[in-house]
Amino acid sequence: MANLKDIKRKISSVSNTQKTTRAMKLVSTAKLRRTEELAKQSRVYASKLTEMLSEISYQIQKSNVDGLSSKFFASNKEIKIIDLIFVTADKGLCGGFNVQTIKRVKQLIEEYKTQGIKIRLRGIGRKGIDYFRFNNVELLSTEVGLSSSPTHEKAKKFISKVVDDCLNGITDKIVLVHNGYVNMITQVIREDNLLPIDPEEVVENDQVSLSDLDMEPKDDDTLLEALVTKYIEYNMYYALIDSLAAEHSARMQAMDAATNNAREMVANLKVQYNKARQQAITTELIEIISGVESMK
Amino acid sequence: MELMKLEIVTPMGVIYDDDVKQVTFPGAEGEFGVLPQHASLVSLLQTGLIEIEEADSTKVSVAIDSGYVKIDENKAVCLVEGAVALDSSDANIAKAIEKAQALVKSVENSNAAIATASKLSSMKKSI
Repeated sequence: MANLKDIKRKISSVSNTQKTTRAMKLVSTAKLRRTEELAKQSRVYASKLTEMLSEISYQIQKSNVDGLSSKFFASNKEIKIIDLIFVTADKGLCGGFNVQTIKRVKQLIEEYKTQGIKIRLRGIGRKGIDYFRFNNVELLSTEVGLSSSPTHEKAKKFISKVVDDCLNGITDKIVLVHNGYVNMITQVIREDNLLPIDPEEVVENDQVSLSDLDMEPKDDDTLLEALVTKYIEYNMYYALIDSLAAEHSARMQAMDAATNNAREMVANLKVQYNKARQQAITTELIEIISGVESMK
Repeated sequence: MELMKLEIVTPMGVIYDDDVKQVTFPGAEGEFGVLPQHASLVSLLQTGLIEIEEADSTKVSVAIDSGYVKIDENKAVCLVEGAVALDSSDANIAKAIEKAQALVKSVENSNAAIATASKLSSMKKSI
């Protein structure tokens, strides 16, 4: 039988843990609300940007008989080297959030390997970086602190290097993997092909106006280049915000589960404690009674 | 009088969404005015002021650093990086102008930025 003191110590330890997890849950809830607001604001901008880009690429496609020839759009070129960017959290204690991303990245690496494509990994977020370092997977660049406090400037700085490589022909494709926010209880892995842009994908929305489009400055490239750069930067930024929202929601869930488990554990330990106490009293009583009996 | 819809969107959210009579944009190749039924146009914007004439003929300015505008017959969508609205009916106009000046200053020293800065300081004097 466990002794009373031990059980008591265990109870207080578990309820301390419970206090911590509950506080962490509250913190995550507050942070999630803020990040969600941020995501909502930037979603408008992102959708307008996509709309604008799709219309312009549609217009250019229409005027060019042989389709889009710009360097930003998909060509039939064979893909040999891919830049794979993944976004994970800097901190743990958020359930399967990071593991899901890592798993998907590993799966992608396998897939591309079988196709004979070389992959360069770029990591954002301490947890993912640590994992791949530990498993001796080479990372081309690592970025810590970007996923926990994303700003547009930082995202821009990071992605511009990657885009430069792609435009200079060092890499052929940029893939971005992150765990995105759906609602309070669901996260989903999202994969975006940042470059080259697939015109089919962009032109999907059919609100495109059919009238001819004037462009200023006149040559297509200046405008398109500026717009595409913006589009990629903004997609990167949005992915970071989306990932942060998902991280907070995942942590909220994980901490909620931990708090519930701790509560259950305390209840079980209390039953054990009471049983032990009762047993001790009974033993004592028996001792007294038998002592009295022997005196007779 | 015919009206057109104008939306100004920044990464921080929508800052203007209303029907207007006329807008003047600081295009990369010169300032241009837009009335309803304008032909479709996409243009790069440079640092400057978007001047809006609202449905009730009040004038509103928005200082921007850079962006794009897409115009079709009855709608103009403007995507900008940073923007400060200068509403002359607002009591905090002086503060807003200061903010706008800071925004314009943060942009590289281009002719457009200098011109806008002087425009802003004359606006400040006039209140």
